[in-house]
Amino acid sequence: MVKKQTFAEAFAELEAITEWFETQNVDLDEGVKKFERGLELAKMLKEKLADVENTVVTLKKKFAVIDGQSGDSEI
Amino acid sequence: MRAVISVSDYLNLANHALRTIPTENMVIEGEVADYKVSQGKWVNFDLKDENAEAKISCFMTTFALTVPVANGMRVQITGYSKVFERFGKFTFNVSEVALVGEGALQKAYLLLKEKLKLEGLFDIERKRSIPQFPNRIGLITSSEAAAYGDFLRILNNRWRGVTVLHVPVYVQGQYAVGEILAAFAQLNALSGADRPDVIVLTRGGGSLEDLHAFNSEEVARAVFQSEIPVVVGVGHERDESLCDFVADVRASTPSNAAERVVPDARSIMSEISMDVDRVGDQLQFILDRCAHSVDRSVNILDRSIARVTESIASVTQRFGYAFERFRLSLVATIDHVDRRTQTFNGAVARIIEASQRSIGELERVLKSVDPKEVLRRGYALVRSGKRIVRHSGDVAAGERLAIQLADGSISAIVEGNARQESLL
Repeated sequence: MVKKQTFAEAFAELEAITEWFETQNVDLDEGVKKFERGLELAKMLKEKLADVENTVVTLKKKFAVIDGQSGDSEI
Repeated sequence: MRAVISVSDYLNLANHALRTIPTENMVIEGEVADYKVSQGKWVNFDLKDENAEAKISCFMTTFALTVPVANGMRVQITGYSKVFERFGKFTFNVSEVALVGEGALQKAYLLLKEKLKLEGLFDIERKRSIPQFPNRIGLITSSEAAAYGDFLRILNNRWRGVTVLHVPVYVQGQYAVGEILAAFAQLNALSGADRPDVIVLTRGGGSLEDLHAFNSEEVARAVFQSEIPVVVGVGHERDESLCDFVADVRASTPSNAAERVVPDARSIMSEISMDVDRVGDQLQFILDRCAHSVDRSVNILDRSIARVTESIASVTQRFGYAFERFRLSLVATIDHVDRRTQTFNGAVARIIEASQRSIGELERVLKSVDPKEVLRRGYALVRSGKRIVRHSGDVAAGERLAIQLADGSISAIVEGNARQESLL
């Protein structure tokens, strides 16, 4: 199960796993574990990219925050 | 009797008198010197005559400053004069500044650019990198401008999951500088999860006058001082502003700002796939290597087992040979012993036989020499006492003799003795 991770953290972890495979003298057990973790991360990253929309929040002067709909709200 | 009045009252009188100087149809022209901005808001400079030794201390706020001002520039100012009570200083309150002369604005721009450059605001070393995957983006621009739509359109095309914190501001006109400064302050004041990872300051292209806010010293300094990295994207490719030079990342247009601030999801997708493929390949390679090494170990083991088996077989064989040799030599020994025994037995038998024969002969010989046999044949044995008389001379007359015959003995006395001629 992937713990709550930002996209950046998950991507960095995937990159680290890739680098680990490139640079270390890889042990098979460890390698299989990391490979599974990599698949998990890749799946999660792709899902994040596929599903989520961008959100626009318009800040009013003096720090009032009003949530807007995704896309193009103007308040 | 002279009236006694306080300092404040006198200054009030003076200021009242100063306000009678007509200002509507008059501008003061001179050269800017000793230009200073404090707290991003208060502007002080001296306005000097070019030739005469004369100057006016001028004061204004950045909000009223709609053109870039720098030392050495010729300007026309409007406003009113006043003596500030606290400082007792004659000051001209500037309400408007206009640049004088052909290309004055351009010249002012270049002057300010040079000044900020010398101060290090454009230094490459201070440029901060923006995060590869920002979660929150502060967006400072006008809601009405095409820039806003362009930025969001490209952002939505490229990337997902970002929260844009939009601070709507005027990007030109007299309120632009103040609002942009306030927006920077507002975004920088956000903390924790609310705080944006990057700020984007953007607008469409325009004339040098239109871009005034982006060329203002205050906004340039706000970009410089922002604790959050700043991406500035102004106008079209050919436009430049001072903020561009100060920005951590300079984008050429609002669309380009979106491109600079978030990655393209498609290329990240393919990068993720490539990472996974690469890792898969590496794992396969490791598996192959392990399989190969297992094969090799099995081969080694096989060979070892074969060697052990071979050596056991060889030992067994050699033992077999040795045992056979031993058996054969044992058989040979037994034969030999048998033969020897037979030979020995034969020899013993022959010896016994020979001995028996010898004994028979000896018996015969012995029998033939037995004195009793001799006596039986008529011979006698003569003794004198215990001694056998062998010679006639051995006895003397009168000597008692015992004559032994085969069946008994006779006692006799010697009468005489003579030498025997012959027995028969």
